[in-house]
Amino acid sequence: MKKTAIIGFGCAGYHALRAMRENGYEGEIHVYADVSHPPANPMLTTYYVAGRIPYEGMFPFGSLADLVREYPATLHMDTAVSRLDTSNRRVILSDKTKEDYDQILIATGARAVSPALGKGGGNRRFVMRTAQDAQRLKKLLDEDNVSSAVVVGASMVGIKVVELLYDRGISVILTDLAPRMFPLACMEETAQEIRLDLERRGIVTMLGSGVDKVEEYEQGIFTYLTDGRVLESDLLVLCMGTRANVELVANTHIIRKEPVKVNRGIVADTHMQTTIPGIYAAGDCCEGLNIQTGTTALIGLWANAAEQGRVAGINLADGSAAYDGSLPSNITHYFDVDFVGVGDPDIPGQRHVFHNSTGTYALTEQEGRISCINLLGSYRSSGMLRQALMKIIAGKDPEFGPDRWGLLLASGVPEEFLKLMGGLL
Amino acid sequence: MSYKITFDETKCVACGACAIACMDQNDILVEEGQFPLRRTFTRESRLHPEEKFGYYSHACEHCDEAPCIPACPSGCLFKDPETGFTVFDTTNCIGCRSCAFACPHGAPAMGLDGKMLKCDGCNQRVKAGMLPACVAVCPFDALALVEE
Repeated sequence: MKKTAIIGFGCAGYHALRAMRENGYEGEIHVYADVSHPPANPMLTTYYVAGRIPYEGMFPFGSLADLVREYPATLHMDTAVSRLDTSNRRVILSDKTKEDYDQILIATGARAVSPALGKGGGNRRFVMRTAQDAQRLKKLLDEDNVSSAVVVGASMVGIKVVELLYDRGISVILTDLAPRMFPLACMEETAQEIRLDLERRGIVTMLGSGVDKVEEYEQGIFTYLTDGRVLESDLLVLCMGTRANVELVANTHIIRKEPVKVNRGIVADTHMQTTIPGIYAAGDCCEGLNIQTGTTALIGLWANAAEQGRVAGINLADGSAAYDGSLPSNITHYFDVDFVGVGDPDIPGQRHVFHNSTGTYALTEQEGRISCINLLGSYRSSGMLRQALMKIIAGKDPEFGPDRWGLLLASGVPEEFLKLMGGLL
Repeated sequence: MSYKITFDETKCVACGACAIACMDQNDILVEEGQFPLRRTFTRESRLHPEEKFGYYSHACEHCDEAPCIPACPSGCLFKDPETGFTVFDTTNCIGCRSCAFACPHGAPAMGLDGKMLKCDGCNQRVKAGMLPACVAVCPFDALALVEE
């Protein structure tokens, strides 16, 4: 009987398991995870800290018992895999135990960037990625008298941390090395609007300045910025992005001189197979196709991980599925603001910005080709416009048929904006 | 079994009865800023003047591979195995709009409680052998419930 190993049990690992069972795979599936809880969604951590969902709400696929009942597998929880022996097709666990496999999926996810920045025991320094991170921050906020905080990272996670601290009446300073808000998604024009809105609410933003070092003491923490400013606060939350967990695959170089190609993430083809046959990768540890560049890239989104896991699972079940690729895409709702970014905001081109009662609509265009859109204040048209931009980038007709055109207009999208995107009149 | 609600624009007269029925069925509070889960609109074509006007009625398409389902970070959306409609339980909905961002049809919206709201095909009515409210009131059968 064929034996499949899945390393990591997050969104991609779950969807791979599910797809394998739904596509008739009858062999053994062994899932190895270095945590004891069910697949968790990192995006939900801030909502748990904010008290918007219960602890169990961070695990959107339900309990481990329910998952295994529906999609049979042998779970090895609290079990870290330290290395792969690709020559002998074995996983080597942290206690040196060796277990065989016939095929394997690496779905090890990503971890929060947490650089060593100076002195202190870390009691007042936080990151926000795992359920444990969320529990730790929530405990401090519930039990301690926190009145000030510094958040490093004007990112999608950073803004949600700012929001939950602000809602607790905590004075917040937001900093980032980048000179603008949401630097990977936001154009200068919309970033400025977002920053001004935060400032109006009393949130101090210090952009364009990195963190040089921190010094922690019993009651608080000093954050030294690279521009010389020193911030004193009760706590510091680092939301500086993530790093793909590629070490397991990178270690295969040591065991066998066969390359598993690793850039910033594990490189996978459209079937989610790595450069070694039989080794698949999916989710936040993995570089999949970026349709905007035509190359592989880390695009760490929940929906991408789900689709990559599904595709890998079908192929592991001897089916045939391909990942269509994606592009940088973000939506966030904080305070009463909706922000949407699709595409790379750093691709040069002419900016077109429109304002109406529903919000701000911006796009970058060069020689008739659209490379990025930003929406601020309105989410209702976001899916239609994202789909249209993906088609445009793929060289296809955005298919603004009469009904779609009417829907977009009814959703508040300015007609001039749609004309630039190639819509019918 | 899988149901779909189809729309034939050649039969639509833009009466808006479907949207009214949707509001009634789903207790939509228009005066408080909510929109019906089925939207009606008119489009005038400038490129094709011979078409003059088009009348449209639009709601969730209940896609077979509904992209809103895997996009939801909280697992609130799922398929009803009995009807095939894309239905939801928003107990853990965080109002993040990921469903709207994934939907190529602009269907998911937010309710007054900040949680996702969209057409569920009048799932309970259909399970009870009735037509969706919008289909039941359409005077010219522009909307229809079909079994696939």
